[in-house]
Amino acid sequence: MSTNQALVVRDLKKKYPKADALKGVSLSLPQGEIWGLLGPNGSGKSTLLKCVVGLVTPDGGDITISGQPPSRETKAQVAFVPEVENLYRWMTIRQAIDFTATFYEDWEHERVEELLNFMRLDPTKKISSLSKGMRARLKLILALSRRAPLILLDEPFSGIDPASRDRIVEGIVRQFKSEEQTMIISTHAVGDTEQLFDAVVFLDEGTVSLQGNAEDLRRQYGRSINDLFKEVFA
Amino acid sequence: MKSFLRLLRKDLEASRWPMGFLSAITLGIMLLVSLKIATGGWPTQAAIAAVTFPLVFLPLWVLWQSFQTLRTEWREDTVYTLLVLPEPGWKIMLAKLSAILLEYTVLLVVTVVGMLIFFFPMVQEAMLVLPGAGWVVRNGILLYVFSLFMIASTIIFVQLAFVVSKMVGRLQGLVALWTLLLSGWLVDRLGILLEPLFGWIPTIPVHALFRLNELKQGMVADWNIAPEIGTWLGTLALLVLTSYIFEHYVEVNG
Repeated sequence: MSTNQALVVRDLKKKYPKADALKGVSLSLPQGEIWGLLGPNGSGKSTLLKCVVGLVTPDGGDITISGQPPSRETKAQVAFVPEVENLYRWMTIRQAIDFTATFYEDWEHERVEELLNFMRLDPTKKISSLSKGMRARLKLILALSRRAPLILLDEPFSGIDPASRDRIVEGIVRQFKSEEQTMIISTHAVGDTEQLFDAVVFLDEGTVSLQGNAEDLRRQYGRSINDLFKEVFA
Repeated sequence: MKSFLRLLRKDLEASRWPMGFLSAITLGIMLLVSLKIATGGWPTQAAIAAVTFPLVFLPLWVLWQSFQTLRTEWREDTVYTLLVLPEPGWKIMLAKLSAILLEYTVLLVVTVVGMLIFFFPMVQEAMLVLPGAGWVVRNGILLYVFSLFMIASTIIFVQLAFVVSKMVGRLQGLVALWTLLLSGWLVDRLGILLEPLFGWIPTIPVHALFRLNELKQGMVADWNIAPEIGTWLGTLALLVLTSYIFEHYVEVNG
């Protein structure tokens, strides 16, 4: 298996008590690209990302991250931003940054300060006092302040005001280092993020319904990814 | 070590408000009782109840706190942060265990300090029938150390029960309860089974350890520690198992 594949997923299955979240998903993501993981709610996007970072245990299939199966070592290579509010609310922004920085060797202290300024966050503020948009920006700072080879963002724009959304998109564009990083952004809000994606995967009820290079798909179908998304999931 | 200390600090900081509240309640009850005794409203024996209540309550609080500290991680979705850390499960579980032991110690100290502040005359009276302050402090520390073993075992059982319950999608409460009962029974059986292996270990002369002859001449109490060794080893194995399950098999809420 080639190690220049940032992430390879083969025949991944995951069943919850009430639904089959993934029914044999296979993907291969080359290094240095931003992939859009697109699909409506309940299509299996979050479950797929959770399987990659070890938050849920797959029922079948294989995952390799830079050629290695998921382990403590691969956890050190992945920066994950979940859709849920995973921050300790009693902490200040600075405490959350210091806490996270302790565990990752690829942490870049200069980048944190730059991102705090760019995202307009006051590090002395308590997380419990932040708006949803501010918390989303903080979660992104915690992921982008690392030189992690694989960055996974699960619905980073969900329920976020347009101003915060624009900041987040700009932050991603500024901080992403294509020569050493790969990013997956799961979203069902394709319109605002389409320009970010080098390639896309459409997930539908736990299966891949379409995948490919974003530009090739636009050319092949003669429409934008957003229009294609609407057509596939109409 | 740095990451362990960071996790420990996080767990301690997370419970600083409940700890402050419990300390205040403990001291508040003692203050109230001491005022009632001073004004003649209550008999002096009420002081015993005021000191005993927190001491009886402490193990129950440990049981609750062991469960709550993990439950909060799931309820507030911060378990997403913990589970993606590139750290071994034992560090996370041991940090939680250590935090509860430290909190238990703090509450114990608060109770003792409160007793000395609010019921000093009664403490002085009690000292008259005891062999001396040195004897009381020594035996107090020994009892505290023994209680730490008991408390740590309780925390390990609860942690295992909670973590196992998070491996299943349904009936988590029932699974947790069964795991708790089963693990207690299991380490008990293990202690009995392994007893012959550790039979060579001499019994501990409790009367000498606690200097009981200073209290009453001729008191003899020996402790056969052989069955306990197996139980402790079993409990330690459960901690390792909990850590392994936490790192590899537990899931966030679907």
